[in-house]
Amino acid sequence: MQPVYLFVTCMVDSFRPEGGIAAVRVLERRGAAVDFPADQTCCGQFSFNAGYHHEAAMLARHFVQVFEGSDGPIVALSGSCAAMVIHEYPSLIADDVVSTGGTTLEAANWKNRAVLVGNRVVELSQWIMRFTEEPSEIPNPVISSALHQGCHMRHLLKANVEPEAVLRQCGINPVALEDADQCCGFGGTYSITEWKVSTALADSKWDSVKQSAQDHQIACLTSADLGCLLHLDGRQSRLGEMFPVMYLAELIDRADQGTLMEIRGRSVKGGSHGRDTSR
Amino acid sequence: MEHLPQDPRPWPVRRDTALQDTVLQTTLTHVTHRLNNARIAAYRHYPSGEAARIRAIARKREAIQDWSVLLDRAEEEITAHGGHVKRAATPEAVGAYVLEIARQHSVKRVIKSKSMVTEEVQLNAQLEAAGLDVRETDLGEYIIQLAHEKPSHILAPAAHKNRQQIQRLFVDTVADAGEEVSEDIQELTRFARNKLRQDFLSADMGITGGNFLVAETGTVVVITNEGNADMVTTMPRVLVSIIGIEKIVQDWDALEDIIQQPALSGVGQRLSSYTTIISGPRARESWEGPDEWHVVLLDNGRRKIHGGPYQDVLSCIRCGACLNVCPVFQQVGGHGYGSVYSGPIGTVLSPLLGGMDAFGELPSHLCTMCYACQEACPMDIPLPHEIISLRETAVSERREPAAVRTQYRLWGQAWSTATGYRRSVTAARLAQRLAIRRVGLAAGWLHTRTMPFVSSVTFLEDWAKKHRRGSS
Ligand code: SF4
Repeated sequence: MQPVYLFVTCMVDSFRPEGGIAAVRVLERRGAAVDFPADQTCCGQFSFNAGYHHEAAMLARHFVQVFEGSDGPIVALSGSCAAMVIHEYPSLIADDVVSTGGTTLEAANWKNRAVLVGNRVVELSQWIMRFTEEPSEIPNPVISSALHQGCHMRHLLKANVEPEAVLRQCGINPVALEDADQCCGFGGTYSITEWKVSTALADSKWDSVKQSAQDHQIACLTSADLGCLLHLDGRQSRLGEMFPVMYLAELIDRADQGTLMEIRGRSVKGGSHGRDTSR
Repeated sequence: MEHLPQDPRPWPVRRDTALQDTVLQTTLTHVTHRLNNARIAAYRHYPSGEAARIRAIARKREAIQDWSVLLDRAEEEITAHGGHVKRAATPEAVGAYVLEIARQHSVKRVIKSKSMVTEEVQLNAQLEAAGLDVRETDLGEYIIQLAHEKPSHILAPAAHKNRQQIQRLFVDTVADAGEEVSEDIQELTRFARNKLRQDFLSADMGITGGNFLVAETGTVVVITNEGNADMVTTMPRVLVSIIGIEKIVQDWDALEDIIQQPALSGVGQRLSSYTTIISGPRARESWEGPDEWHVVLLDNGRRKIHGGPYQDVLSCIRCGACLNVCPVFQQVGGHGYGSVYSGPIGTVLSPLLGGMDAFGELPSHLCTMCYACQEACPMDIPLPHEIISLRETAVSERREPAAVRTQYRLWGQAWSTATGYRRSVTAARLAQRLAIRRVGLAAGWLHTRTMPFVSSVTFLEDWAKKHRRGSS
């Protein structure tokens, strides 16, 4: 059994614990011994992106302390949070050590610790592709799913084949969206501070999903990033629609259990949501 | 005059206007997709383009680093070829210099090729205020000049207009009484060309910008898609080239790599359709070219950027690739930014040149932090990090409301400990049970989306329950 340390992320923890529970099952079925360091909190990206770097660095240091001292992959349930730890932590923490009066030696020390932790971080679909054996045969797809690739997965982790490949292994035909590389508008706190533009982008993304629904028989929309999905789902539900939106780990878990066919919701309606952002 | 012109309308007004403008939404999507797809295809079909790009980045960064020496060299060369060099610190200095030359040569009519830097210094307004006739000769610039608007895209200034609007504009402004104007794009172009012919023939002064200034020979290089710069540089008696000092490149060897980048990334071509090379005024034995050539080198805040954390933005070649991939740009277009420089590069450059008081809202409100621009930028300018860094500046200068700052501070303190985190999740759950969710940061979400509920059992609580007896 391979030890794996689960980084559940604050969003999955609070808003979609089922996603975390599903991820544990997915990992265990594939031979991982899952440990969940219970003192973990949040990667701090919200604060970092908003320009609150000292606050972000406090969270980053906490994260490093929680996850260091063990060996083996740290599986993140979000491509975006994984990218934060891998790409931003080393310089974020080191800069903060210096700007709060630490020595350059202390900064270098912290940087090193952050790099060591960051080197172990992978997003769930990356872990499956890197650490498990590919099935000898790709099964015939049971369903199709639209795949929304989060921007940080795409541009920072450059994990652009893993989610698709994992879905295929699981008997799910991944359907790339029209304008797949367009941001859905979530953007962490951007979805709150600039909600009008954020919502306009969500509407564009739903237009693409609808296009896919017309061109392919898609059963649901999935993504490795729960933040994007909460934003998109919150938008459709405000508009009274109920197209199934499934967090990636839950979709894989269903595939493992053979319950993909049960995904049912109302299909996406035709027509445009329009640009009415007042609703 | 301010360093950088600013739309007086506040961001919410600019944003709402853009989001409701259906023509803008359609034309913008069309233009940005076309340019972006062309860029991707161009690099794909040109495998050695990537190597040229990497060399271009290195050479351009070096040129920026050594710009004082190189600018001196360029000045010597230009002067040696009979040109005149003026270093201008401000928009007013540019205007005053150009007007002085115009006065000396009794200039009445001026023609221009497309230039962002003259937009930056509002040259047209300065010249027109002194009674000169100014005519833009790039089709897109011509259109927005007639409409009294600012460019909505660095490369495609009239990207926000459709052909019906352009047809109407021509009828209302430049068509002779009773003259027919078709809505057909080819016809519209032909119409503009005919009108512009007259302007080319009657102009006394030509004004160009410059994409590159080659130090070793003192040469100004202008690239266009329409060839209009060829006419602007050869027909009038006097020629003025106005160039930001960051356009310097060291030599022709570097230029060969760098000049491909705006073509590949901007319009998806290996080379721009027209490359106009200006090396001096008309020589005695030559029969074409201007009698006098002036080169104005503009600072306007650029030197302040040099040597600081944002020096990389000076490597920008204004290709517009970052605009074409930016999700926010796609929604609000160039006019949403309230600055002549729009999109991700404008989000960084505008506050650096024009100050945080005027443009501080761009980094915080016009970026979702998606990193698409970073991947698209041929010059590897770290735009997202620069935007984050400007947000950090806004925070440290206390530009954010005190309540927001406090929220972030408390959030950071609470969530950097396990107990603090657990307590605040419990508090959030309680708050939503008491239905007090329309306050604080969360309010914005609820305007247009339903809010997910904090689960009654979080993952952490579930895990603790399952593993209580030390079974793991
Ligand atoms: S920042 Fe990069 S992508 Fe944007 S205009 Fe400049 S060179 Fe082009």
